[in-house]
Amino acid sequence: MARLAAGDPDPLEGLYERYGAMAYALALRITRDGSAAEDVVQETFLGVWRNADRYELGRGSVRTWLLSIVHHRAIDLLRRRRPTTVLPERDDAPPEILTMPDVWQDLAARLDREAIQVALATIPTAQREAIELAYFGGHTQVEIAARLDLPIGTVKSRQRLGLLALRRALADAGHTNRAGTDGEPRG
Amino acid sequence: MADDRMPPLSCAEVEDLAAGFVLGSLPDAEMAAVRGHLATCTSDHPALAELASVVPALALAVPEAKPAAALGGRILAAARAEVPAREVLSPPPAREPAVRGENLASDRRVVARRDIAAWLRPFRRPAWGLAALAAVLVLVLTALDLQLTGQVSELTAYRAGVEAVLSAAASPGGRLAILNSAATGGPAGLAAVTVDGRVSIAMRNLVPTTGDEVYEAWLIPGSAAPLPVGSFAVGSGQTGTLLASLTNPVADTNVVVAVTREPGPGATTPTLPIIAQGRASPPAS
Repeated sequence: MARLAAGDPDPLEGLYERYGAMAYALALRITRDGSAAEDVVQETFLGVWRNADRYELGRGSVRTWLLSIVHHRAIDLLRRRRPTTVLPERDDAPPEILTMPDVWQDLAARLDREAIQVALATIPTAQREAIELAYFGGHTQVEIAARLDLPIGTVKSRQRLGLLALRRALADAGHTNRAGTDGEPRG
Repeated sequence: MADDRMPPLSCAEVEDLAAGFVLGSLPDAEMAAVRGHLATCTSDHPALAELASVVPALALAVPEAKPAAALGGRILAAARAEVPAREVLSPPPAREPAVRGENLASDRRVVARRDIAAWLRPFRRPAWGLAALAAVLVLVLTALDLQLTGQVSELTAYRAGVEAVLSAAASPGGRLAILNSAATGGPAGLAAVTVDGRVSIAMRNLVPTTGDEVYEAWLIPGSAAPLPVGSFAVGSGQTGTLLASLTNPVADTNVVVAVTREPGPGATTPTLPIIAQGRASPPAS
């Protein structure tokens, strides 16, 4: 990131090689459009390149904030497509990450994509639906309530309970994964 | 149009909104209200931190997919093409006074960092709590940062719009209007009308539009009815620009340029009051 901040674009290649597919997969899941997903990824990485001087090396996870930018841009694109939404133009910039550990540096290192998907599948369908409509569909709680013909309080409750259930499932999976194939605790 | 901003939230209200906030599932006004609270509050928000810690997993839970092989090369090529431009657009040295608007964006970032640092200072929690807090910070700062850089982007567009207005006004037969509002510090800007029917506008200090709302530009030749020119939306940067071309150029040298706020595009008559207006006249030789 320091080289990017100094105006050297070459490290962008390594950054893309490491996180590009991950970013694309998330953008595609949200936009359901390969071309739009590629645009989101391109804008994200170019935003990183343009604003690298605002990222402080050693602070926080590059992956976490990069994927959060992808998510924001993809949701923005999704909402722009809806006729009632008018949004201002936005450029990407890496958010300032203060000196804090990345929650996923430990946990996600132990959990692969499949484990996370399994954890997500364990939470009640109604709760998962309320979460996915928001996170991947860009819908507000009001819109979800209307779509599912539910009181908004029910939507809020399902989202909260679903996230808590996912947290428990992920923590359990992380603990299981930590034991390793030989059944002995690691670390 | 009424301001959508909410009154400041209490910590209890923020905790109640936590799930919607971390999923980005609240209305814009509530999202902004929660961000505003978190940026200045030094109290703990355990429910929010707990829920926020889960959100990064959602990003990783999607099916694997690979982009086109050429995408990486396109990104790198685009970045390399910008290398000379980055040198031109580097911020001026601190000694040179910058345009007030340019300083505004960086000043806001400094204020935001200070506020968030103050929020963090008394926080002492075991590793899980700190990690969850990091996830909350990513959400808050990503949204805040995107908002701030959006404002810088709008400022850049505004400056380009001003240049377009001045260039049009300088064309043979071009006319320049200084747009003012009745209120001091209210909306203001420049407009140019050319003989071939092009209208260019650049305005600042505009209240952001929401939903379908737009600002509509009008030409009012003499005592004739206002002619709609075109419309534009305004974001958090509070600036707006318009480049339009009239099918039938207005030859009248006595033409007023006016701007109104409309509930949607395509207005055929202005909705009063007029936000700003000015008489278009040839630039002084």
